[in-house]
Amino acid sequence: MSRQASGLRAWVLQRISAAYIGLYIIYATGHFIINPPQSHADWKAWVADPLVAFALSLFFALLLVHAWVGIRDVLIDYVKPIMARVALLTLFGLGFLGCGLWAAKVIFLAAMPS
Amino acid sequence: MKFSIFRFNPDTDTTPRMQEYEVEVSRGMMLRDALMEIKRQDESFSFRHSCGEGVCGSDGVNANGRNVLGCITQVADLKEPIVVRPMPGRPVIRDLVVDMSQFYQQYRAVKPYLIRKDSLPEQEILQSPEQRDKLDGLYECIMCGCCSTSCPSFWWNPDKFHGPQALLQAWRFLADSRDQATDERLDALEGPYKLFRCHTIMNCVDVCPKNLNPTKAIGHIKELMLKHAI
Repeated sequence: MSRQASGLRAWVLQRISAAYIGLYIIYATGHFIINPPQSHADWKAWVADPLVAFALSLFFALLLVHAWVGIRDVLIDYVKPIMARVALLTLFGLGFLGCGLWAAKVIFLAAMPS
Repeated sequence: MKFSIFRFNPDTDTTPRMQEYEVEVSRGMMLRDALMEIKRQDESFSFRHSCGEGVCGSDGVNANGRNVLGCITQVADLKEPIVVRPMPGRPVIRDLVVDMSQFYQQYRAVKPYLIRKDSLPEQEILQSPEQRDKLDGLYECIMCGCCSTSCPSFWWNPDKFHGPQALLQAWRFLADSRDQATDERLDALEGPYKLFRCHTIMNCVDVCPKNLNPTKAIGHIKELMLKHAI
């Protein structure tokens, strides 16, 4: 097992996630301009479409991966004391995990038949 | 013309200071000439220089906030007063003379020489013109250090990040058709520090006095690494 954090894998994940995030934001912005949901029920119906629910879930998952690589880079660059770095990485990791679970909950509840 | 020069003598000073000098500028005068004139006025002033024509890479300094080679930078192109400091991020030995040990260590770490596994032929190893063309824009580096000392990633991690100069040379040997250690070279660059601290800030490209492009070379290394990984 490698004793060091990943270099290539993190870089590739950052690039792939950036491409998907960029494309998804263009799609979502276009959708909300051309066909904005008129009510909460409309929005729920849109999210309930399995393809939309999957694309939205993937968007949040990749957004968090992208944010993790980014914040890891910032902390590796600027935070030298090892304990402070580990504490901050843990804090951000848990924060991102919480955000991910929250997003999953919102999508899951919206996709559930009411 | 007014010059404000960074001065620090470790034997007598506790903190660095900026000292003003007045230099009479002649037509076509280079920054190195002006520094030599300052040296004539004040012989306690120290700076490195040698060939005077942009070949040896000794007289890298920071003039008005930008790393330049003194010998090929026209004084007339700089805004007055000209503020000259040592190259940033390096320990100052005295005045404009900095300790470049870490810079050379990073260069050494990329094994900047051809590695052959086959037995060496009696004659030279031939390259096609196309193979030779791949080394253009790479081999011209004079190791002045302008790029690496203007790179924020190198400022923060000079002991772990190779820096643009060493990575340009890493690609110079990866791109060489005569080299046979591609996998070993790529393996040595893995991890978050040596190569991947580069965030494409591109200060290196901006300041290189030879107009080389370390950021592009770093991109090529990442692409090659990816090709070998999948």
